[in-house]
Amino acid sequence: MLYFTLASKAYTRNLQYRSAHMVHNIASAMFGFMYACIWIGLGRDHPLGDYGTAGMVSYISFTQALLWVTSFTTNGLGIPQSVRTGQISLDLMRPVHLFSHMMAKEWGQIAYQFVYKSIPIYLLYVFVFSLQLPDQGLTYLYTVLSVLGAAYLSICINYLIGVSALWTTESSWLYWGNHALINVLAGFFIPLEWLPRWLEQIAWMSPYPYLLYTPTTIYLGTGDPSRLWGTLLWCGLFTAACLLATRLMRSKVEVQGG
Amino acid sequence: MIEARDLHKEFKTAVVKEGRFSGLRTLFSREYRMKEAVRGISFQVERGEFVGYIGPNGAGKSTTIKMLTGILHPTSGEVSVGGYNPHRDRRKAVRQLGVVFGQRSQLWWDLPVKDSYDILAEMYGVTAAEKRQRLGRFAELLNLDEFWQTPVRKLSLGQRMRADIAAALLHDPELLFLDEPTIGLDVHAKVNIREFLRVLNRDFGKTILLTTHDMDDIEQLCGRVMVINHGTLTYDGSIPSLRETIGLPTRMTLKFRGPFQVPDNFAASASAGVFRILGVEGDTVRLEADRREIRAVDIIRELDGWGEIDDISMEEPEFEEVIRRFSSS
Amino acid sequence: MKAGSWFHLYRLLIKTSVRSRMQYKFNFILASVLAALIQISEFLMIAIVLYKFGAIQGWSLYEVGYLFAVMTLSKTVYRTFADEVHHLEKYLISGDFDQLLTRPIPVLLALMPQNFRIMLGEVLQGGFILCWSLAGMMRTGQVGWTAVPLTLMIILTGAVILFSIGLATATIGFWTTRIEELQNITEDAARTAAQYPLTLYPKWMSSVLLVVIPVGFVNYVPSLYILRDELGVWVLPAIAGVAALCLGGSLLFWRFGITKYQSTGS
Repeated sequence: MLYFTLASKAYTRNLQYRSAHMVHNIASAMFGFMYACIWIGLGRDHPLGDYGTAGMVSYISFTQALLWVTSFTTNGLGIPQSVRTGQISLDLMRPVHLFSHMMAKEWGQIAYQFVYKSIPIYLLYVFVFSLQLPDQGLTYLYTVLSVLGAAYLSICINYLIGVSALWTTESSWLYWGNHALINVLAGFFIPLEWLPRWLEQIAWMSPYPYLLYTPTTIYLGTGDPSRLWGTLLWCGLFTAACLLATRLMRSKVEVQGG
Repeated sequence: MIEARDLHKEFKTAVVKEGRFSGLRTLFSREYRMKEAVRGISFQVERGEFVGYIGPNGAGKSTTIKMLTGILHPTSGEVSVGGYNPHRDRRKAVRQLGVVFGQRSQLWWDLPVKDSYDILAEMYGVTAAEKRQRLGRFAELLNLDEFWQTPVRKLSLGQRMRADIAAALLHDPELLFLDEPTIGLDVHAKVNIREFLRVLNRDFGKTILLTTHDMDDIEQLCGRVMVINHGTLTYDGSIPSLRETIGLPTRMTLKFRGPFQVPDNFAASASAGVFRILGVEGDTVRLEADRREIRAVDIIRELDGWGEIDDISMEEPEFEEVIRRFSSS
Repeated sequence: MKAGSWFHLYRLLIKTSVRSRMQYKFNFILASVLAALIQISEFLMIAIVLYKFGAIQGWSLYEVGYLFAVMTLSKTVYRTFADEVHHLEKYLISGDFDQLLTRPIPVLLALMPQNFRIMLGEVLQGGFILCWSLAGMMRTGQVGWTAVPLTLMIILTGAVILFSIGLATATIGFWTTRIEELQNITEDAARTAAQYPLTLYPKWMSSVLLVVIPVGFVNYVPSLYILRDELGVWVLPAIAGVAALCLGGSLLFWRFGITKYQSTGS
């Protein structure tokens, strides 16, 4: 039950900042609104492929809400900070594996963001843009699975970013670099099929499409649920990478003597 | 050097709502509570004084310091520092001040100490020659060479404090404000800092105002102490007279050579009213007395009748204890 | 403090921080490469859209590139010199703002040299896209050489406008302490919006971007004249006027805000 306690503490810790977060939601909603306006403006002059203007607005709305679950995770899961303060050697001494410890906390954070950010923002868009919701139960199931997978991938990526703080003081740049890749390769603003051919191929060789594009297209009904296998594959690879990284980090901390 | 006249400071804090949607309701509520942190403080500090400013947490200590240094504007009252009002003439007033906040550094976090001095010198318009001369004067006392090239973030707490004090002296201010300069330091480092502050006051004639929680700082350095509690000055004077005001008992231990006899009727005697026997063990008697009521000499004379006194030791009340009494009264 | 000696102080700060940053070459290179990558990905988003659809509301790839580059460079100038204005929240929370008030120079001038950021990635990216789009438009004869000095001028006026917006937002922190969320709207969202032609947005939104948060005057309005010969030459002095107005207004607001500082930091 330790993991559940860690997660729920992370969740409740956030509750006290709810009102500040609501202001922040206005800012986030503005961003999404702006992106939607760009597509609406483009839709006036050009046909927008299979999506159409309405489809693109739905696409942007869903990715913008999804960001809070699969992209805006805590920078390096908070590891860079505990490296700076020296807390990390304490964390490594605890009888829990660092990865699962950090991950449990982050699940709480993500749950909070889902309830207080993703949902209000998405509801706002549903209202403003009069969006359609999927009518098939199975679609919801596949969406939930792909979103959970995406959140897990995001946790893993940030864990690796966090671990890098042991080797460089500039690990926060990796966090922003990760965001830059999400912007282009995850289908954050442009659906992947509209990327230049070479970039689209690069994207599908990376885990990024599984963070935003796959859950969004599954939700919209245009994506094949078999893409979930890809999510699963990447989850497996990243788990292995995270375990390996923990081992490297342990030896590094031992060499430094904490 | 410093003059404060009837300083008041009120803070306005939003009332935090409780219950459902408390966050949102606090955000939009217009309810405030006024908190009076400082209520009518007046004092003067003359050139060359070393003044300790003490009081429990939340008593208004740092609010006063912040008003004196021009950081906060008083709700009412006047401040004059070196002849300038730090609120109307902030820039002129602070030029004569050196300020050290023990809890935070004024140096540049990731630059070597030396570079921070270069920047500060530029900021205060200190020429390169003046800078060299002033730092040279303190370099040995503060052992600055030891970390001259080290980035500030890599300094130990004691080194950082020494570096910060030197930084505050770079523009040769007449007046120094030190807020908890020994906080978190080990005993050795504390002794070093105190020694340096003593030299600054005695040999360089700097006027110093010191706030601290460490009563040893006050006792060893300050000729004068001001106590603040609940926003008002409750004491302003020397340390011995503060002790006297409180009237905490002095403890004495007397050792007798050979046999001695406590009078059977001691408890009923006149002396029992002015001093109290704490215990008798072997050849020693421990007692305590209020020295406002009886002189030590008289106690010794009295006990001399009981037997032959071999040795006497006296303990003044702990300063810390004095302050505790004072703040809680 | 005289302006000359303030610049001297600033030069010293730049020199020392570049030197200390260079001690960690790997970190510096990593940070610069990633900053450039972030910048490029931002532009890629726009470029891909243009590649796919040709033009946005009649604005060509070069023109949108120009809008984007001017915004990036104005922001770079602003953040290079006044990054700490953007990070005022840090000083308010930690109470380090107290320290700045004990300096014998205007608080803003004490705040700005607290940190200096080398924004090599942004300069390279912005500079490259600007050259590329200007060169493209010169080839087609859309603009002449006069566009170059005019562009440099609007980058500077743009920096002044962005600085004013940043300063006004930061000043609100004297009442609220927390400003990050607000900055997200007034700085990040507004700036990102103005990287595209404002005609894309509903009327109310483009009005907000011109009147309330005047980011439109950084790149969009001057581009109408410089690139498309719309409006008239009066646009340029008007832009300078807007920048001066913003700066004056935000400085007044800042001065008022400081008197409300409560020094609640620990």
